[in-house]
Amino acid sequence: MTRVMTRSMTGSEARAGAGLAAPAIVYFVLFWALPALAALYLSFTSYDLSGTPEWVGLENYRQMWANDEFWASVRVTLLYTVFAVGPTIVIALVVAVPLAKPGRLRAWLRGLVFIPAVMPLVGATVLWQVIYSTGGLADTLAGAHPWLTDSGYAIWALLVMVIWKYVGLYVIIFVAGLQALSANVFEAAAIDGARALRTFFLVTVPLLRRTFTFVIVVAVTGAMQSFVPAYLLTKGGPVNATQVLPLYLYNNAFSYSRFGYASAIAIVLLVALLVFAFTQFKLIRSDEE
Amino acid sequence: MRISRALTTLALIGFVALMLLPLYSMVVLASAPDDSDLSGLRFHGFALFDNIGQIMTDGRFPRYLLNSVLIASAVSVLDVAISAAAGYALARLRFPGRAALLNLVIIALSLTPAVVMIPVFVALSEIGWLNSYQGLIAPFLASALGVFLVRQFALGIPAQMLHAARVDGAGELRIFFLIAVPLLRPALLTVLLLQFLAQWDNLIWPLIAASEQELWTLPLALSSFEGEHGIVYHLQTAAALLSILPPLALFALLQRYYVSGLTLGGIKR
Repeated sequence: MTRVMTRSMTGSEARAGAGLAAPAIVYFVLFWALPALAALYLSFTSYDLSGTPEWVGLENYRQMWANDEFWASVRVTLLYTVFAVGPTIVIALVVAVPLAKPGRLRAWLRGLVFIPAVMPLVGATVLWQVIYSTGGLADTLAGAHPWLTDSGYAIWALLVMVIWKYVGLYVIIFVAGLQALSANVFEAAAIDGARALRTFFLVTVPLLRRTFTFVIVVAVTGAMQSFVPAYLLTKGGPVNATQVLPLYLYNNAFSYSRFGYASAIAIVLLVALLVFAFTQFKLIRSDEE
Repeated sequence: MRISRALTTLALIGFVALMLLPLYSMVVLASAPDDSDLSGLRFHGFALFDNIGQIMTDGRFPRYLLNSVLIASAVSVLDVAISAAAGYALARLRFPGRAALLNLVIIALSLTPAVVMIPVFVALSEIGWLNSYQGLIAPFLASALGVFLVRQFALGIPAQMLHAARVDGAGELRIFFLIAVPLLRPALLTVLLLQFLAQWDNLIWPLIAASEQELWTLPLALSSFEGEHGIVYHLQTAAALLSILPPLALFALLQRYYVSGLTLGGIKR
């Protein structure tokens, strides 16, 4: 009797579970698993959307390897990633330490500093188009310069906007990490007579290791996939000076209809992201052992 | 000590003011009657409502706004429904296909949208779904992050509550809808908010999947504002301001859900 009851319960559990999970399973197969395999296949073909993909083996990857525009795009992406992530994290941490302390005013400031991060990216980028226009805010504050039309300025103009957009997000994440730390640690350091700067480097930073890892993974993978600022502010120009990899991919697929070559770029981008994430994962593991 | 604290506070206020300067300038520019002063520092009259009126009556802007509202709402509601069901099943039920679902979620979490974008575009163009609402909605019906968030939250539901309901003879679906869903509310709101904001701000997919202007959304309209009206910065900025208000309002209302979604996995174990 008990046996029958257990069996019938598992049966209904299995049916309910499969029913609840089915829509998600269908979705992930149709929109992620199969397309990922298709992208890998397309990367070995020549395909312009008319007709059928033509198998070309490693030709797309060979072309990419020999293509100066691809390597220029890799350099721009690396520069963009390093200078978007580095300054953002340093500024965020320096601001978060005093901002994490209690106080009504500080609570207000925490809310305000987060606003740019909550704004939609497209609306924010459109605003920066005006800021960098002739006679705009950038000209008014820093003197007239060809912010978006000179290849020496454009990438830095993009970076200033990106740092402004995201620094508040990391301030909030660091504040949450800091508030989770015990106040006793800082009291002990203060009793030992440690100066603020010493406490910061020898106590605060090491204790925030976990938050750092999270922030670096999110920031780096985000920067490597960034498309909107470069697409809207400079279209990758001038002379490809801001053509980050996602934009290079987009241009090849949707401007030149080189879907095979663009798929190969996507696969390379994915491998780069996975290698980075895997390295971070290994570092966390070795850190915890 | 007191002086140094005051100086720190002053520096913090200075930093926040610098962060908000572009926003102040956004309001100034959106309120300007023309493009004669683009510095965005001084108000020259206050034409914000005239500008918004002009945008709303001139051209297709109301249509873009409606498209954005429709698509972001449809996507976020459907995503919550599918993610809630899958996340709960993953956390609390044994069923055939459970391992497959878990693997699929992990695969989707580790892939970048850039990889699947081209094949999905090709497939939708084959079945004639480009330039259609279903083509703009279908690729975002569920999300790995949504399933994952709900699963994490569902793991925290006390086993006794589900067990008691089973002893009372409630069916598994009844338990899901009447007991689990109300308890999962915070996680569901987080998913709803994150997905709504993501879709409201989605530029790349409508850019490639909707060439017909009837289907354009706000990000697409903002990105090619110049094409339609010539470069009219004060109107473009007013439109941009209009596009950032709903997310800011949602954020103000649902702040704690937003932050919990962001920091999940970062601070807590």
